[in-house]
Amino acid sequence: MRIRKPWTEWSDSLESNDLPGAMGVYELADKDQRTLYIGKAGGKSPFGLRGELFRHFSTSDRLARENWDHPRMGEDLPSVRGKARYYRFEVNHNYYSRWIEILTRYREDHEVLPPGNLEDPEHLPPLGRYHWKSEDAQRGL
Amino acid sequence: MDFELSDEQQLIIDNVRRFIREEIRPLEADLDPDAFTLRPEDDARLTQMVKDMGLYQMDVPEEYGGPGVDTVTRTLIAEELSQHRAGLYAPAYGVFGHGPQGQLYNGTDEQKEKYLWPTIRGEKSGFFGLSEPSGGSDPARAIQTRGVRDGDEWVINGSKLWNSGADTADYGIVYVRTDPSKGRQGISAFIIDTDTPGFRVERLVQVLRAHYTTELSFTDMRVPHENLLGEEGGGFALANDYLARNRIPYSAAGIGIAVYAHEIAVDWAKQRVTFGEPLASRQAIQWMLVDNEIDIRTARWACLAAADKAERGLPFRFESSMAKLISTEGAGRVVDRCMQIMGGLGMSKDLPMERWYRELRIRRIGEGPSEVQRIVMARDLLNIGSGSR
Repeated sequence: MRIRKPWTEWSDSLESNDLPGAMGVYELADKDQRTLYIGKAGGKSPFGLRGELFRHFSTSDRLARENWDHPRMGEDLPSVRGKARYYRFEVNHNYYSRWIEILTRYREDHEVLPPGNLEDPEHLPPLGRYHWKSEDAQRGL
Repeated sequence: MDFELSDEQQLIIDNVRRFIREEIRPLEADLDPDAFTLRPEDDARLTQMVKDMGLYQMDVPEEYGGPGVDTVTRTLIAEELSQHRAGLYAPAYGVFGHGPQGQLYNGTDEQKEKYLWPTIRGEKSGFFGLSEPSGGSDPARAIQTRGVRDGDEWVINGSKLWNSGADTADYGIVYVRTDPSKGRQGISAFIIDTDTPGFRVERLVQVLRAHYTTELSFTDMRVPHENLLGEEGGGFALANDYLARNRIPYSAAGIGIAVYAHEIAVDWAKQRVTFGEPLASRQAIQWMLVDNEIDIRTARWACLAAADKAERGLPFRFESSMAKLISTEGAGRVVDRCMQIMGGLGMSKDLPMERWYRELRIRRIGEGPSEVQRIVMARDLLNIGSGSR
């Protein structure tokens, strides 16, 4: 199933410790709340969900001010940068299989991966099929 | 029973060991700690290397083009193949080939042409559909999925649970009750294409390890009679044979994890200095390491004894259950002790211990829980039947 939390609009006033440093999965969406990217804060993520979300939303000045000079923090995706407005996340120790589950559901519903995931250099295992579309997809979400 | 390795066995083991240490382990540095697949380019390169080694599809019988590896050697290889981070559930990330499920060798020529050969060639994959929401350890009674004959077709309704890979598979071997009046003799096996109308993956079922299984539903799914695998009512015997044979390499894979964890812990105990002395000088640590070694050797001997009996065509059900129980419980204890020795580092995702800890807990349940293995052994010991109709 998809992440069930409501979308939250990103605010530049967020402090880094407002977000969890834990492992988990997250989604980014554009101004119309259409998913742009499904990501994970995995075992190698330097600052957990906090770092992943700041990586996508922050300017380089902000990252420098936070002393986030880890190379991962400079990585971003063209279809996300400047377009992502909303986020939602789920703290989850089993981030890897949950990430695959959300991607599988999305692809089954939309017949294509989110634009950011198509650009993502992160290796994806083969995704499976549900053989049915979710109610969300039938409502055009 | 002589477990001295022949020159050929030693050569194979040395090659596989080198392959895991030099080709697989270095790649894991760049993968997610919970990953279970390689990048496609690495997968293709390493698969070719395995083919060149002559060990590709080693579970495939020689008459079907496999390399003809005997059960004892296969068991020794299984212990080597799992000695890396993802090794318990994805030994060598599958580059040694995913052989077909053994039941397919009982298929008709048409079934072999459509499913067996493409699976051997790596063009198709299948899943195993036995357990249901109503239970898994007693499939003879728990199977409620019904198949009703309608002319040249069977109409199948029901659900299955814990089917690994069903979401990515091309087909599955699914066990269905075709005659409710006959108990275990009323269960038949069908090969089901996953694009059959009425087949649905209801959900991916998240579990303790970084993988998932599936819950399936079948609604008025029409399957041609030609997809019946084996005799009508003979499905349970097919499943039982498959499960017993699979227990031996399954057990040996757990030993491989224990061996690798123990190796890391021994190195750490020699290097890590606390209160002016290496950990290895402490009796508490020494005893844990010795207990590890005892668990590993006991499990290895149990697996090899089962493999030896299977290879000689002797009944091996008791031994395979014993090997499964000893190795899964022993490997769990080994990894637990290693984590204790490693301290905080053992808990972190910098090391594979925490992944193995989660995965080995499942191992005591998967492929028949420890308690069911004891039941199987008790039946043999007391010479009693399964109490089934």
